[in-house]
Amino acid sequence: MSRGRAITTEDALTALALIVFLALPLGADDYALGEYAKFFAYGLLAASLAFVWGHCGLLCLGQAVFFGIGGYAMSIVTLGKIPGAPSLLSSWLGLVLAVAIPALFANLLGRFLFYGQGLRGAFFGIVTLAVAVIAERLAINWPYLGGLNGLMNVPPPNLGLNAGGHEVFEPLELYFTMLGIAALGMLLLGALVRSRFGVALQAIRDNEIRAQYLGFDTAAYKTTAFSIGGGIAGLAGALFVTQFGFASPNLIGFGLSAEVLIWVAVGGRALLIAAFLGAFAVRSVEGFLSEALGVYWLLALGVLFILTVLAFPRGLIGEIVHQIDRRRGLDTG
Amino acid sequence: MQEFVITILDASNYTLILVLVALGLAIIFGLMNVINMAHGELLMLGAYVLLTVQQLGGSFWLGLIAAPIVVGLVGLVIEELVIRWVYRRFLDTILATWGLSLVIKQAITLYFGPASHSVDVPLAGTVEVLGAQYPAYRLFIMAVSIVAVAVTLRLFFGTRFGLAARGVIANRDMAACLGINTRRLDRYTFAYGAAFAGLAGAAMSPLISLDPQMGLGFLVPAFLAVLIGGLGSLMGPVVGSLAVGATDNLTATLYSPVWAQLVVFVMAIVVIRLFPRGLIARRGRET
Repeated sequence: MSRGRAITTEDALTALALIVFLALPLGADDYALGEYAKFFAYGLLAASLAFVWGHCGLLCLGQAVFFGIGGYAMSIVTLGKIPGAPSLLSSWLGLVLAVAIPALFANLLGRFLFYGQGLRGAFFGIVTLAVAVIAERLAINWPYLGGLNGLMNVPPPNLGLNAGGHEVFEPLELYFTMLGIAALGMLLLGALVRSRFGVALQAIRDNEIRAQYLGFDTAAYKTTAFSIGGGIAGLAGALFVTQFGFASPNLIGFGLSAEVLIWVAVGGRALLIAAFLGAFAVRSVEGFLSEALGVYWLLALGVLFILTVLAFPRGLIGEIVHQIDRRRGLDTG
Repeated sequence: MQEFVITILDASNYTLILVLVALGLAIIFGLMNVINMAHGELLMLGAYVLLTVQQLGGSFWLGLIAAPIVVGLVGLVIEELVIRWVYRRFLDTILATWGLSLVIKQAITLYFGPASHSVDVPLAGTVEVLGAQYPAYRLFIMAVSIVAVAVTLRLFFGTRFGLAARGVIANRDMAACLGINTRRLDRYTFAYGAAFAGLAGAAMSPLISLDPQMGLGFLVPAFLAVLIGGLGSLMGPVVGSLAVGATDNLTATLYSPVWAQLVVFVMAIVVIRLFPRGLIARRGRET
């Protein structure tokens, strides 16, 4: 786009969301703040899926695998369960590993699946679904990871170099820490999407064969994008367990993978912020609607999901942004 | 010897059940290019239809006949309400049917509760097979599966409907140009695939416990079987199911049932990766 510096509606929405989130503690009690801080982790997970799916066309049905690996990595470190180095308890190290291990795993999986006669579209989706089922099985059957119960009593983030420092536990502090890290993650993904790399990913999404003929090594691009998405999902998982205090097989498997897919589809797959807000909105609405609607809530969510897919493939937030963009004469495709 | 016979029979049993599920998936996938993630829930629906018939005082056999009919009708409704809106959006069929699976699961949970139910085995007793005692009902399921597969093959290779359907699989636009009503064919195909799932669910309901989450356990292996076998021919799912069923049972017997599923899934991913068009590939078709 030649008018590259025009402020898009997406930028405006991102800024607006940030302002609202910064102001939110003014009108929320401690419990609500704790909940919102967890939603930031879910939002980041949703954005990571929007990155690989919306921007690169990789419909991953097992995105929670990376979230779960990140969560377990963080728990293992902060609980002092690293084999041979039980005195290493650093939250910082946990954070690094929670990004690095899922990214590495995504990279290996990408290398295996994308090169040569690579897997495309639905085949990739079904294989990732199988990977999610395998991961959940492994987590349940591996005593080191606590089996079905998972790893309990994961400590909150600790600012000390190797634990022992200031614990981020107080709700307001935790809220802003999580908001800060989530915002950094979103910033990174946003910068990637706008870079030349991001444009190449979109070209691959729209027509992979054409991108190949234009000289792009599409397998390498997809593998890199998948690894980045995996790393960010892992970061989200680490954020989640430090608040939730508990890493269980639920975090790694099919159920959460399905949920995050719904958040992203309902919010908007093509816009990172729409996916983030989709997760935040669905989780918040769930908070009070599941009381009012009881068991009918999941039914309603399923119907909403189907209707969104049928009528608004851009997602509810994505569709609104798209309409505003159109009115403003910014063609965002 | 006896143990060997039982292992072989168990493997065949699992394989034949898988064929029943996978064939329905493959017909819908191959013909309509729709990935039906709700297939596992259609199967569950079949089992619950049978349960309902029994609770109302009907016999098992009545339920077994009612299940495919009811689930087939549900398939018609689903096709009309959801599937036909996403025909041209291939990946969105995954999402729409995934949403459907959620809704069906939740509806069943609301109506029957989350707890598991069980259905009585109608054919108690065992039959002697090559010196080994084997449950009669399992043999019955195997027979049902073989008959269903044979009927399907006959339908696709011996009737005008089948000819039209294979024409659509080979080239949908060309078939439409030649005057085949693809819209109507799609509707019947989806209903047929759904009925297959319903039959599978009802037939195996006495062997398993029925709960709203049971669908996924069949969906993933069946999908892997379809991908392993390949979409090019109707024999693909049969071969794929054989690969999955045999691997599953061998691992369970030789090592442990806990790891069987893991081994199967990993094996399947590797095979799908090495042969993306399936073990039975047909040349000249890009999906």
